Amino acid sequence: MVVAYTLMAPALLLVLGVLAYPIGWEVWVSFTGLSSHGGTRGFVGLANYRGMLAEAFFWKAMGTTVMYFAVTTVAKLLLGLGMALLLVRPSRLRPLVFLAVFLPWAYPGGVTVIAWYWMLNPPLITSYSLAAGTLKYAVDGILGAGAYAFVSVALFNVWRGGSFTAVFLLAGLNAIPVELFEYAALDTRNSWQRLRHVTLPLLRPFLALAVFLSFTTAFGDLANVWMLTGGRIIFPVVGTYAYWLGIRDGELAQAAAWSLSLVPLLALALVVLFRWFDAPEERTS
Amino acid sequence: MSPGRGRWRHRVLLALIAMYSVFPIYFITVQSLKTPEEDVFGNPLWIADPTFENYTELFESGEARVRGFAILPRVPFVLWLANSAVVLAASVALTLACAVLAAYALGRLQPPGWRWWRRGLFATYAIPHTILFIPIYQVLLSLGLDDSPGALVLVYSTMALPFCLWLLSAYYHHLPREIEESALVEGASRLTAFVRIMLPMSRNVLVAAGLFTLGTVGQDFMLASIFLLDRNKQTVAAGLGVMDVSLEELVAVAGVNLAAIPVVILCALFARDYVRGLTAAMVEGA
Repeated sequence: MVVAYTLMAPALLLVLGVLAYPIGWEVWVSFTGLSSHGGTRGFVGLANYRGMLAEAFFWKAMGTTVMYFAVTTVAKLLLGLGMALLLVRPSRLRPLVFLAVFLPWAYPGGVTVIAWYWMLNPPLITSYSLAAGTLKYAVDGILGAGAYAFVSVALFNVWRGGSFTAVFLLAGLNAIPVELFEYAALDTRNSWQRLRHVTLPLLRPFLALAVFLSFTTAFGDLANVWMLTGGRIIFPVVGTYAYWLGIRDGELAQAAAWSLSLVPLLALALVVLFRWFDAPEERTS
Repeated sequence: MSPGRGRWRHRVLLALIAMYSVFPIYFITVQSLKTPEEDVFGNPLWIADPTFENYTELFESGEARVRGFAILPRVPFVLWLANSAVVLAASVALTLACAVLAAYALGRLQPPGWRWWRRGLFATYAIPHTILFIPIYQVLLSLGLDDSPGALVLVYSTMALPFCLWLLSAYYHHLPREIEESALVEGASRLTAFVRIMLPMSRNVLVAAGLFTLGTVGQDFMLASIFLLDRNKQTVAAGLGVMDVSLEELVAVAGVNLAAIPVVILCALFARDYVRGLTAAMVEGA
C-alpha cells in the first residue's frame, strides 16, 4: 500500500499544491468584506451571499449562464452524435471526413478563438464588415444589446466542442460489438428504434462524460473571449460578471461569492456523472 | 429505399459535415492570404491574388514597419512559437508522468478507498482555473514563478490531469490481471513488468491522454496572458491576443494558422490511435 500512495504522491502534490490554496482563499474571502476600496477585511458571515441572492441581476445572470450551458451542451451532443453516427458507417470518404471533423478540435483553441472573434467582429475596413455588422444588429435587435458577442462565443464553443464530442462518441460506438447491432436489427423495426433502444443506452457512459467535459470547456471559452475583448461582453453571465466585480470594481469578496455560486451546479453535474459513468458493478472486481 | 440511394445520402451528409467543420478554417485561411487592398475590396470567400506577405511578416525582425501612413509594430513571433512549444511539451510530459503513476496505483494496486481517491481527483476537473486566477497568482508568486514559463506548465498540468488519470486508471483496471501476473511469475519485478508490458500495451491510451492534454491546455489564452507579462516570454496565444488587431488583423490570423500547423499535423498522425485509445480505456478487457 505504501507503493500505491507513493505513486499517487506526484499527482496529489501537483493538484493540491496548485489548487488547494486558491480554493481555500476563494471560499474564505467570500465570507469577508475584502475590497480594494478599503472594505472591512474581517469576517462578515453570509452577508455577501445574502446581498447576491437579493439582487434581481444575479438571477438574470444565473438564468443566462444555465441557458448558455444547456444550449451549447445540447447542440454539441446532437451535432456530435450525428457526426459520430455518420462516421461509424463504412464509406470511401470516411478517412478524409474523419480528419475534417477532427480539425476544429485539433486547431489550438486559445489561438483559434482570436481568429474566430475577429472574423465575427471584423474591424471596419474589411470586405465583409458590412455583412457582419448587419448580422450583429439583427442578433442584438432580437436578443438585446451585447447578444451578438455572446452568440459568437457560443458558436465557437459548439464548433470546437462538437468536434470533440463527435470523435469521443465515435470511440464509444466503436466499442459496441457488431453482433449487438445484428441482434438489434432482428428485434427492432427501424433505425430510429435501434438508436433509442440499443445504441443510446450502450453509449450512456460516453454521453455522460461528453456532457461533463462540454460543461467545463464552455466556461473556458467564455473567459477567453471576455479577456480578449477587455470585458466587452456585456451580456450578464455569472462567471464574467464575477471578473468584472473583482477586477473593475475591486469588490473581491463579492466576486468570490459570485464565482462560488456555480458550485452547486458543478456538484450536481458530478453526482449525475458518477451515477451514470462510474457504474456500481465495477465495485466487485 | 434502394441501397444505392442510401449510400448517396450518406455520402452527401458526410460531405456536409466535412464542409461545416472546415469552413471557419477555410475562411480565416482565405483572409490570411490577402493583400490589404483585397481585404477591403475583395470577395470574403475567395482570393484573386494570394500572397504570403502576412505570414512572412511574422518572421521579419525589427521593431516596426511602415505601411502607408501607419506605423505597425512587429512582434517576436518566432520566440512565441518556441515558448509555446516548450510550455505545451512540458505540460503534456508532466501531466502524463503524474497520471500514469497515479493511474497504475488506483487502477491496479487499488489502495483502500481508491474509488473515492479517483472520484475526488476527477472532481478537480470541474474547477474553472480561469476564475481562480487571483489566488493562483499568489501561489505562483510564492513559488518564485512570476513571469516564468514554469508557472504555466504547473497550472496547465493540473488542467487535464484529472481526465487523463481517469482514462488511464480505467484502462489499467480493465486490463486482465493475468497479463501482469504471468510476467511476475517469470521472475520480473513489478517495475520491469510495468515498463516492459503494461506501458507498451497502454500506448494508445497514452496517445489519447496526451492529445487530450494538448487540446485542453491549448485552449487557454487567458491564463497565459495574465501570468506572462514579458513580451518575449509569452506564448503564441497570449502574444497574438494582445496584438493591436484593429490594424493588423490579417497578420494575427496568419499567426493563428501558422501556430496551428504543427499541432494539426501531430493530431492527424495520431488521430486513429486517439480514437482507439479512448475506446480501449472505456471498455472492459479491450
